[in-house]
Amino acid sequence: MLFLHETHRVAGRHAADFEALLRDEWMGALARSDGTRLLWYLNHAMGSGPAYEVVTVTALADGTAWEELGGRMREGDLAGLSVRLDSYRHEVEGKLLLPVVWSALQEVDLASVPTEGAPHDLSVYMQDTGWPHAPLDEYLELWDRDYWRIMRQTPPERKLLDIQACFQVAHGSGLRPEAILMQKVVNFSTLGRLLTSAEEHDPATWPGTYMAKGLEIRDQWESKLLRTSSWSPLW
Amino acid sequence: MLFVHEFHQVVGTQAAAFEAAYRREWMPLLAEGDDARLAWYFDLAHGSGLAYRVVTVTAVANGPAYVRLAERLAGGDLRSWARRLDGLQHRSEGRVLTPLPWSPSPLPMAEIPTDGEIGESSLYMEDTMWPFPGKLREYVEAAGAVYRPSLGAEKARMHMDVTLGAETMPGAGRSPEVTLLQRLSSLDPLISLLTQDLPPEVTGPGSWMHQALDLRDRWRSRLLRTAPWSPLR
Repeated sequence: MLFLHETHRVAGRHAADFEALLRDEWMGALARSDGTRLLWYLNHAMGSGPAYEVVTVTALADGTAWEELGGRMREGDLAGLSVRLDSYRHEVEGKLLLPVVWSALQEVDLASVPTEGAPHDLSVYMQDTGWPHAPLDEYLELWDRDYWRIMRQTPPERKLLDIQACFQVAHGSGLRPEAILMQKVVNFSTLGRLLTSAEEHDPATWPGTYMAKGLEIRDQWESKLLRTSSWSPLW
Repeated sequence: MLFVHEFHQVVGTQAAAFEAAYRREWMPLLAEGDDARLAWYFDLAHGSGLAYRVVTVTAVANGPAYVRLAERLAGGDLRSWARRLDGLQHRSEGRVLTPLPWSPSPLPMAEIPTDGEIGESSLYMEDTMWPFPGKLREYVEAAGAVYRPSLGAEKARMHMDVTLGAETMPGAGRSPEVTLLQRLSSLDPLISLLTQDLPPEVTGPGSWMHQALDLRDRWRSRLLRTAPWSPLR
């Protein structure tokens, strides 16, 4: 399974039109193919980064579904909607993601993904994107051994994040070396402490010695706080 | 057919090893199957931009073949090659391209050479354009109807042909984005382009340059020189 990750730089005055088009027309039209479903619609949380930036993640059953999607957008039933989407944004930057072997998310039952846009609560994800200066495999091993396994053992009352997925970029569809963690924020008080407490940033104490060890592999990453829309299929 | 286009920032001290990894390993490894072929290996021409930059273009049969290749690199038999390449480049920026309706047909996969035979290098101008929002289809149509034929006109200012015209696949790069790989057949017009102002008839009303401003005003040209062993030159 492939995960099509897109970062949309939306035209501010068309932000509502853009979201409505995704919710009311695009999501359902995508689902006319059994191999394609919109999974997440995420707004970059105001006050934490660029304005009018939206992240979407679309699941693709396989390479055939991806190629079919390209054809539908160029000259098929999605061509008109694609032109309208384009007119509501400055540009979109996409990449294809493959789950790493230890990622909790591997396959999605596409038939069970909601497509009707029913409203629900909002949730917030911390999306970490890292660019190691060592081989990508070493970075993924570090994340597995010294981050994911440790975070899983954190007691619920101290838990900040639920690591739902870890991806690497599929060959030639984006940057290499690059890897991505999709982490649901499960405790906003802990998030507040992370944002405001210098102690929490101490490499020697959070979490364990991971921050210090990590410097041998990477010192460049970006965290984005992404808030699901009230109709995002997954949230 | 799809094309995996990669722009590599090579480690300067490892430049020869990087090239060898493509020539001695990637090209023959792909040739063992039918899914993919290395098509072009380019160096960014010295004096025209960033140092130690390489562009590779790998032809892939279709979507399923692309996924098989990506999975071999992520966790299969090509993983160790990819890991070694990580040590030879700072990073690479990739995108996957699909040919435009009016693009010349690329060579069938089976006819792309895999023997690394040495030949004369060629110079290409790679133009990447970013049409205005919502103008991608209009731009593709106009480029095919007006720009491409103009290259073959008797009074053409540049002596070059479009070898591949492509747009970026959804989820595999930026959009809207169009890329033209254009092979130069003569150097003199390029030198004139680099050293002289464009005359009004090239930029004024009625010209392609003027007309196309309704569709885009951002593009980037790269001058790329094929390696002498590049499968396509």
